[in-house]
Amino acid sequence: MAGMTARQINTTRRIIKTGFLNLFRNAWLTIAATAVMIVALTIIAIAVVLNVTANNAIDELARDLKASIYLVDDVSDTERNLLQSRILALDFVESIDYITQDQARVDLAGDFQNDDDILQALALAGNDVLPASLRITVSDLERMPEIGDFAAREENAVFIDSVSLGQTDAQATIDKAASAQTFINTASIVAALTLSAVSIMIIFNTIRMAIYTRRDEIRIMKLIGATPSYIRGPFLVEASLYGVFAGIISTVGVYSLIYSLGGQVSNQKEFAQTYAFFTETGIVTVMLASLILLGILIGAVSSMLAMEKYLKLKHW
Amino acid sequence: MILLDRVTKKYKKKSGVAIERINLHVESKEFVVIVGPSGAGKSTLLKLLTREEKPTSGKIVVGGIDYERLRDKDIPYLRRKIGVVFQDFKLLPNRTVFENVAFALEIVGMGNKEIKHTVPKVLDIVGLKGKGQSYPIELSGGERQRVAIARAIVRQPKILIADEPTGNLDPKHAWDVIRVLEKINKYGTTVILTTHNKEIVDKLKRRVVTIKDGKVVGDKARSVYS
Repeated sequence: MAGMTARQINTTRRIIKTGFLNLFRNAWLTIAATAVMIVALTIIAIAVVLNVTANNAIDELARDLKASIYLVDDVSDTERNLLQSRILALDFVESIDYITQDQARVDLAGDFQNDDDILQALALAGNDVLPASLRITVSDLERMPEIGDFAAREENAVFIDSVSLGQTDAQATIDKAASAQTFINTASIVAALTLSAVSIMIIFNTIRMAIYTRRDEIRIMKLIGATPSYIRGPFLVEASLYGVFAGIISTVGVYSLIYSLGGQVSNQKEFAQTYAFFTETGIVTVMLASLILLGILIGAVSSMLAMEKYLKLKHW
Repeated sequence: MILLDRVTKKYKKKSGVAIERINLHVESKEFVVIVGPSGAGKSTLLKLLTREEKPTSGKIVVGGIDYERLRDKDIPYLRRKIGVVFQDFKLLPNRTVFENVAFALEIVGMGNKEIKHTVPKVLDIVGLKGKGQSYPIELSGGERQRVAIARAIVRQPKILIADEPTGNLDPKHAWDVIRVLEKINKYGTTVILTTHNKEIVDKLKRRVVTIKDGKVVGDKARSVYS
């Protein structure tokens, strides 16, 4: 309030007070306008949450997806280093781990520690049964098959026994998650836009009716010297308050979903990070603030459209 | 205080001219009665003064403000300097007498304490002491009009415009309203009153400007209805 005169403070206080009073005077209209906005904001918030969840789940799944190049037995360290440097030169390759024969054996034994038959077979076969390999992490899954092309090249093929381009079931899951994410994105953008448009229309109409019921008061205000901002202010406050209420209620709704449904899957590694992210205090605050601001924006835009059309403040 | 120089107002939709080349000069603290039959142009003249209408041609200066140079955003501030009373009172039915009068002070940002101090004094001037908590519907026509006058003068305007304030009132209540206007004029406010009530005009013995078919056809000091 710094820099405001006492009269400006009085005026601002009165505008806010009148806005609140109008809100309660038009209780049913307030409920209708707020309800539609709650649905719109909730859908927008759920879309954001699902999108982040899908992204994180895909990242998590992709982390497991690596290509392995199995080396022939008599590759020297120099030859292996040469091959490694050629692979690293590929722009979609993120990193390479060298898995020695011993390490491969230990890994396999670890993977099948409950399967006595395999462990026995492994023990019988000796140390040299598994080949050494280069395990490659890529930054772009789409380009994974290029590793096959790379391995097939003559200068590389001499060092390479075989190539494995990741677990096919993981790839299928990622594909499913990615297409689900595309669907969620499209559906939520369409739903959010439609519902925002509907709530703009409903608030527009609510403010239009409020202007109509107060038309005598507005005319008197004009005649006795009220400024346009004094006349507009309460309508703007009223419509913005729908946004504040809707923002708070939809945040509560979305978080009840996150805590109830998210809580059940939070121990799965695909969702753990997402759940931890959304339940952080900072993120809860950001979510609340964003939904309130978005609500205020929708309310303010629709009330300004209604005032522009029905208040006729340009003609004094 | 008020100067109209060859002011003409034509309405686009209606045929003919509402006001044609009107010249009028009103001194500060004057009490001027504007008379004429319905449709003569009295209300148009007042609407030009409150800037509800713009003249088609001519010059209007009120309280030193040249309307030609007035920007739209200055209009609210102009109206704060002019009190207006209407034939149909234009009170807010869901607000008390006190709140109706306070309304004029609220829009200019006056503090609640000052409003509580000022409004009863003005209600006293218009003879409505103790009626602050009544609603307009509980009052007689004359009392309602006096509430409207209280609202118009509460900001102590230099000019008070009263458009047929007695039009809806019986003779006794009409005189109550006229007496209040005379009292306000005595305190130093310029009053412009329109009426077609012959008895009031004759008894008032003030300057009478007669308008007919949009033109000034008579302007006499201490006159009667002609």
